[in-house]
Amino acid sequence: MKRLASVEELNKLVDQINKKLSQREKKTQVKVHLGTCGISSGANKVLAAFQREIESRKLTEVVVLKAACIGLCDREPVVTIVHPIKGKTIYYDLSEDKVPKVIEQHLIKGKIVDEWKLNPDDPLLKLQEIRVMHNQDLDPMNIEEYIARDGYQALAKALTQMKPEDVIAEIGKAGLRGRGGAGFPTATKWTFVRNAQGDEKYVVCNGDEGDPGAYMNRAVLEGNPHSIVEGMAIGAYAIGNVRQGYAYIRAEYPLAIETLSHAINQAREYGLLGKNILGTGFEFDLDIFPGAGAFVCGEETALLISIEGKRGNPRQRPPFPANKGLFDKPTTLNNVETWSNVPQIIWKGAEWFSSVGTTTSKGTKTLCLVGKVHNTGLVEVPLGTSLGKIVFDIGGGIPNGKKYKAVQIGGPSGGVIPIEYLNTPVDYEAVTALGAIMGSGGLVVMDEDSCMVDVAKFFLQFTRDESCGKCTPCRAGIPKMLELLTRITNGEGTMEDLATLEELAEMVGSASICGLGQTAPNPVLTTLRHFREEYEAHIIDKKCPAVVCQPLFRAPCQHTCPVGLDVPGYVALIKAGNFEKAYRLIMQRLPLPLSVGRVCHHPCEGKCRRAQIEDPIAIKHLKRFAADYAFNHGLEYIPQIKEKRKEKIAIIGAGPAGLSAAWDLAREGFQVTVFEALPVAGGMLAVGIPEYRLPKNVLNREIETVKKLGVDIRLNSPVNDVESLLKDGYQAVFIATGAHKGDKMGIPGEDLNGVFDAIDFLREVNLGKDIKVGQKVAVVGGGNSAIDTARVALRKGAKEVHILYRREKRDMPAIVEEIEAAEEEGILIHCLTAPVKIMGKNGKVDGVECVRMEPREFDKSGRKTPYQIKGSEYTVNFDTVIEATGQRPDTTYLSRDGISVTKRGTIVADPRTLATGRKGDFAGGDVHTGAATVIEAIAAGQRAACSIRRYLQGEELTPLVERNGYEPIDVPSVMPTEDQLKEKHRLKIGEIPAADRITSFEETVLPYSAKEAIEEASRCLRCDLEAGE
Amino acid sequence: MKQAVETKPIKEEASKAIDSKTQQQIKKIIEATEGQAGAPIRVLQKAQGLIGYLPREVLEIIAREMRIPLSEMYGITSFYSFFSMVPKGKYVIQVCLGTSCYVKGGQKIIDTLKKELGLESGGTTADGRFSLQTVRCIGCCGLSPVLAINEDIHRRVKPSRLKDILSSYR
Repeated sequence: MKRLASVEELNKLVDQINKKLSQREKKTQVKVHLGTCGISSGANKVLAAFQREIESRKLTEVVVLKAACIGLCDREPVVTIVHPIKGKTIYYDLSEDKVPKVIEQHLIKGKIVDEWKLNPDDPLLKLQEIRVMHNQDLDPMNIEEYIARDGYQALAKALTQMKPEDVIAEIGKAGLRGRGGAGFPTATKWTFVRNAQGDEKYVVCNGDEGDPGAYMNRAVLEGNPHSIVEGMAIGAYAIGNVRQGYAYIRAEYPLAIETLSHAINQAREYGLLGKNILGTGFEFDLDIFPGAGAFVCGEETALLISIEGKRGNPRQRPPFPANKGLFDKPTTLNNVETWSNVPQIIWKGAEWFSSVGTTTSKGTKTLCLVGKVHNTGLVEVPLGTSLGKIVFDIGGGIPNGKKYKAVQIGGPSGGVIPIEYLNTPVDYEAVTALGAIMGSGGLVVMDEDSCMVDVAKFFLQFTRDESCGKCTPCRAGIPKMLELLTRITNGEGTMEDLATLEELAEMVGSASICGLGQTAPNPVLTTLRHFREEYEAHIIDKKCPAVVCQPLFRAPCQHTCPVGLDVPGYVALIKAGNFEKAYRLIMQRLPLPLSVGRVCHHPCEGKCRRAQIEDPIAIKHLKRFAADYAFNHGLEYIPQIKEKRKEKIAIIGAGPAGLSAAWDLAREGFQVTVFEALPVAGGMLAVGIPEYRLPKNVLNREIETVKKLGVDIRLNSPVNDVESLLKDGYQAVFIATGAHKGDKMGIPGEDLNGVFDAIDFLREVNLGKDIKVGQKVAVVGGGNSAIDTARVALRKGAKEVHILYRREKRDMPAIVEEIEAAEEEGILIHCLTAPVKIMGKNGKVDGVECVRMEPREFDKSGRKTPYQIKGSEYTVNFDTVIEATGQRPDTTYLSRDGISVTKRGTIVADPRTLATGRKGDFAGGDVHTGAATVIEAIAAGQRAACSIRRYLQGEELTPLVERNGYEPIDVPSVMPTEDQLKEKHRLKIGEIPAADRITSFEETVLPYSAKEAIEEASRCLRCDLEAGE
Repeated sequence: MKQAVETKPIKEEASKAIDSKTQQQIKKIIEATEGQAGAPIRVLQKAQGLIGYLPREVLEIIAREMRIPLSEMYGITSFYSFFSMVPKGKYVIQVCLGTSCYVKGGQKIIDTLKKELGLESGGTTADGRFSLQTVRCIGCCGLSPVLAINEDIHRRVKPSRLKDILSSYR
């Protein structure tokens, strides 16, 4: 190849190449994408297969080419087929054995293999703005492909048509800011270097992309290497007196080093590097310096010292590298992506560049979207795109039905951004305002299974290992912070430790010499800022809510259960066929297993480790099995009361919170009276949850057990004045009246005949009242009450039941099994629609006017806020409308001295001791937290019982719950066998078929048989035994 | 106070004589990098590529030929994690503990490997077959959790597959 001696020769070459390419483009091009991840997924084998087959079948109209990675990380190997007329098809998840079919069906018969192709509407394709990544479909090892696509035209333009100052001005006008993390304006930096004294200057590329979770620089190095060569040459020209540049590339990127090296050699061959470039007299060459495995060498001064062959210790600034950098000469160090943007800015103009982005953050940014997200990949979006759009729209949200928790951005120097801030635009300023930094653009998505304290610890372990050791704040401060964090995750932390941690964090951040130490505390500071309660849970409650910090627990199921039920224990007993013992073990911590085994929302199953193999253990169903067994065999468990005590305690409300508090207190020997306003006991278990989920005769059996322990439950006994209880000799009161008041929607027509509130409706039906529903029922809402109401309405004779929910289906708070059961029964769920008016005739409901909703920005719960689409109103005929849009406590019976009530109607009480503002009065369950779950109410009841006991004994009310009077029950210590660890899905839980069950209120879920229960219990991994090791 | 920091002692092998052929090769490497920026690091990289690791004797040769104090060569060697003064196994297993790999279960993988091979991180099996290391981000986060064995990158690794993966490396 002859050196290009002028711009004319370059342009002539472009013509020649284009002629060649246009011939090639007449054929069908098969481009195999060969980035590092593609190769590790077998892309080379796919390439070889295509080459082999095409040759052996003599398909002369097809040409097989190599290309770079296009960022579809978890769908590798990826192949793009470009047909001269029909256009582009992208295939993903290809393998050697799939190649013949692609060739036969697509290439030969012309029919795309739909099941392997990427949908052009796929958000990963549609929602990106490809600029930096625009050459990824080319072969990076072939400079001519780059040249054909305006390659080196920007350099030619700069050298022949622009003055160096003009180049800098254009970069300035574009608003390019450093893409490595700090976002410093590139033109400003170049100006400093240009103005510095000296006639020997350097341009350096920072390719030491060390942030875990960030690899976009690698993708550009491997896929668009010439953009860096060209960018640095332009920079060298703009700054002046630069004849040599260096690209520092971390050693962990061998393919990137190889590709850039090849690109540099080719550029030299073509005369685009070296002396007298394009005949203009401009001289510039580029060398690669491979790193040797030190994160700190990504720091500017450390990197430059490393190039000099020394230990990568950063140094104080000033003097800044712009004046004294590499070899003490003026130097500009810019990130890979910054350099990569330069040629296009010069060629296409500053206006083109700044046409996207925000006012202060122009252009696009490549981001690595990784972690707990459906579509992991390398995406390029305009700066200012919201986090929520990136994670949910492009990323497809969180897999496995888990809840989003936070995004970690900026690597170990960055921070976490929680769910309340999903609307945050990803740009330099907005992210910094939240305490994080944008950094190089690695976005690690974390879900409910990530512990933020553990995340902070993880990052500190990293920065401690990578600290160069030169300055004391970093060298000694980080390990000290790590020590404190480790104490906290070990369950040994105190609140003083937290204060010390914060103080240390501030000190290390402000006193360290370089960016590593200065930003090392960020993960701690942001997690403390946004997830303080998680730290406090570790310290005060000795609990890791995400169930990650192993020293705090044995088995994850037990730890996440609000009452700490010994799940592995009773599952093991069931496995051993010892059903009664299993029931007795359950009863040590949970007095209402018949009910809970039917209606619990089972957080335990959400953390079950068996799910990593196939499915979680059917913990709830096994609990029901054991409880059913005991009751069916007359083996109900009544604990022995050791010693009767004289104190009298009043409990207001016989729901799950009240009943469990009563149980615990009665066990201790106290005199307990429960005052229940309704004619039945059980609270929501009795009057909320429908019969077909929890038969009332089942519930009543276990309420009888509570009474047998000596608890006096008085029905039809509302308490009008809590004060009077104290006068009647009760020494402490537990207020557990729940949240039974339905929220009204506030739309016209609500007082028509045929409009019900869901809570009232369910209660009336459960109490056996004669409630008539019409033929066509509309239920408004998306929670468990809505589903319960809908399924009850069907059983009450409605011909059609429609659920109207204003958000998207995935946002419905109801339990998934219930939603599925409802749909099986023929209930129709309409999403993104909301009623605006209920219409009636003669005072009776005859229709509902609805409006369609459009989800827009995210709210604090991480769901998109729905907005009415004006003009999309439509009317549907209904004769019954039931509103299930929320419920709140009714605390009008409380006198106010000392007890405060929030705007939502909930009683204010200490979250851990449940003490209200009035001595001797405690509150817990839904009346305290707002509508929540049964098991949480039970846990609150136990917490209240503990506080009341301490109160009556004159002890301090401490946050940790202690429950006395356990009967020690032996649990077998049998680990699962090899066979039991083999893949085996959960035993299906039987249900009466939908067609049969909708005509009655019979219990729909069928129990396991003894054989089935033992089989399912045998899948348990005994995490509690493993933890002991 | 309990020491939470794991310090890895720099172990040294018993004195190893460097044969003259290798000495010549090292000298050639030094000559080839003369005048290049960062020559000491480049020489160490190439020398380690040649011998597999950097015994003290090699550092002495390089120090002598390049007229750099041995302490400085040692300082550079001990600073960069890529340099090793102890021989590595035939297959070097690098388990990535970058953020994405960590969030997706990387810790369980290294724990399982430690148990399986009876090694601590940084160690080598007695038969010289495997060395085990953690690394902080290979840059294939889209495929996490990831581990590399020499040049092979294994993606979406599950602890249950580890035995199979190891057995293919003889």
